[in-house]
Amino acid sequence: MAAADSPSTALGRCDLCNRGIRLAGKMRLDVTNLLDTYVERQGLDASASVAAVEGVPVAAVERWDEQTGTQRLLENLAAYRAFRVLLAQMLEEQREQLGEADTALSRALAAVLLQVSAFAYHLEELLRLENRGPPSEEGAEPPPLPQLSLFERKLRGLGVLRELAQWALRSARDLRQLAKASPGSDSAPSPPDSP
Amino acid sequence: NLKCVTHNLRKMICTWDVSSKGRHGQTDFCYTTNDLPSPVCFKTKEKRVEIPVPERSTTVTITTNSVSGTAFATKDFEIHEKDISFVPLTPRILSLTPDFSTSTLNLKWSDNGSVFPYGLGAFWQIQVLRKEAMEKVTQVTYYSKLTHEDIILSWNWTSDMPLECTTHYVKIRCYINVTQFVGPKDWSDWSPVEAIPGKDTEPNGNGVFPQDTVVAVGSNVTICCVHEEGQQIQRMTYGPDVYPMIHLSSRSSAIRVLNASASDTSGTNVVCILSEDEMEGTVLFVGYAPDIPQNLSCETSNFLIIKCTWKPGRPSGLYGNRKTNYSLFERISGKNVSCKVDEMNRERVCGFPVLADQNIYDFILGVSNPIGQTESSSLLVDLTRRVHPKTPEKLAVSGNSSTSVRLHWFINGSFAEIRLLCQIEISSGHSERKLHNVSLHGGKFSTYMAQLNALRPYTRYQFRVRCSAADHFWRWSDWSRVEEHTTLEA
Repeated sequence: MAAADSPSTALGRCDLCNRGIRLAGKMRLDVTNLLDTYVERQGLDASASVAAVEGVPVAAVERWDEQTGTQRLLENLAAYRAFRVLLAQMLEEQREQLGEADTALSRALAAVLLQVSAFAYHLEELLRLENRGPPSEEGAEPPPLPQLSLFERKLRGLGVLRELAQWALRSARDLRQLAKASPGSDSAPSPPDSP
Repeated sequence: NLKCVTHNLRKMICTWDVSSKGRHGQTDFCYTTNDLPSPVCFKTKEKRVEIPVPERSTTVTITTNSVSGTAFATKDFEIHEKDISFVPLTPRILSLTPDFSTSTLNLKWSDNGSVFPYGLGAFWQIQVLRKEAMEKVTQVTYYSKLTHEDIILSWNWTSDMPLECTTHYVKIRCYINVTQFVGPKDWSDWSPVEAIPGKDTEPNGNGVFPQDTVVAVGSNVTICCVHEEGQQIQRMTYGPDVYPMIHLSSRSSAIRVLNASASDTSGTNVVCILSEDEMEGTVLFVGYAPDIPQNLSCETSNFLIIKCTWKPGRPSGLYGNRKTNYSLFERISGKNVSCKVDEMNRERVCGFPVLADQNIYDFILGVSNPIGQTESSSLLVDLTRRVHPKTPEKLAVSGNSSTSVRLHWFINGSFAEIRLLCQIEISSGHSERKLHNVSLHGGKFSTYMAQLNALRPYTRYQFRVRCSAADHFWRWSDWSRVEEHTTLEA
């Protein structure tokens, strides 16, 4: 059970949560637009079903409402750290494959990568407020990318962006949940308000 | 019916039949020719013997005996060359090597020439077969001359579909054109087939082939989908279009794209949608071979770097690591420089270092991309005649007189070997602009000075300067920034 929060900490967390919710909302919008551009530029079928992509954190979670605030933050942070790496890989591949030919898609990818990095930093701030430093990133390097064909990379990119859009949705709900939780109820399960 | 066949024009194999009545023992075989002193005889259980090919004819006596050795029957044969068939030995395939990246098969075989006299003509028929039903894809006839030595012959064939798609088979036979041999001549037997297994024979060979390849606009391309046994292909799409499928084997089907058009920057997706919503795919990049670069032009602005520009012609439509690469080759020095070129920038530029003690350069611009390569015509350049100085900088005007001023300016570059012609533009108020030319010794990253006289006192003037090579004019630099100055009162 965490020590009772001082009013300023609770206020700080609430403010960070609200800003995080706005960030997640903006990110979701941008990722959705990026998805449309990506599908169109990569010549993909928007309805194509993409199998679960290895190394991409899955937004869907069981017993969502039973998670503690810290669990939510830790899972979100791990996810956005992973997305930061995945998007950076996509950007690198984009430049390697298309060079200067498709700067619009590269710029959109870079913009979302920036938001993901900012959001990860935001989550770290929230974790510090929980008197719990964010886990270090050492040793958390992602597994090396499997040798994929170009088409598989295109599909992988589609899978990454789709999952990121789902995470942006989940993060907003997680942060709303965090903002609602009364101070000091770190271990208290969240009210049954399942998604 | 005694039959004799020779494979090498020296020995012949004779075979015969024997009536089936009674049980036969050994056979007495005798043959004689007019250059043999006496008949050569031997016993054989076979109904087959190998004896020399006669110059003109051979007389053969065959006596069949019973098991106890008593003679059954005797028959004489007169064999002339015209009665002997000449059938070369079946060719021996030494190797069949696939190059999957180019879908090419390389066949190597021995021509077995040591067996034959020098100079005979040989025809080689090669068949390529494919699919489970081993359908003939092509048959070619290849000609060679025998040299009385065993020569390894080689033949390449490029498939119209990736070799991964299904197993390709090759077999070969030959015909030796022995004009002086009067007997019947025939093709050899076909060699046993050599096979290059397709991915549809491998346990986890699934996929769409060719993988991520580049083809020229207008190509006809065959793309196949290799899947698990029992899996069904629902459809195969090329870009947005569904294509009819060609069955290759139980694990492989293909589509044929004719006259492929240029793909988008990220390539054209070829997708194989399988049952249970599984999907395999590849990306095809359809572009152009590089055009011959036009209007190659080279100049130097500082005698350090030679800047060459050119018109690239039609864009290749290929980007990233498939884009067109340029390299500048200078024939006199033998130096080659690869150029860093932005495919999206219309102006193409490449820098080549000015070499010590070399004023004459003979450039060729090489261009290549995955579809092809070409080069510009060569360009002979005398550097002293291709000086295009940089814009003069730090123009400063000074003077403590009413009718004259001094101008100083700096030019970034090393012009010590040439003279510079600089032009100073003088304007004031609404009077007409005047140009004043001055010829100067070039310097190394120098500041230059010129004096202007006969100016009007107490007048506000605007000055700017540009320079070029004095002896062999090529191009003016851009104008410097304008600098203002008012002459003193008289």
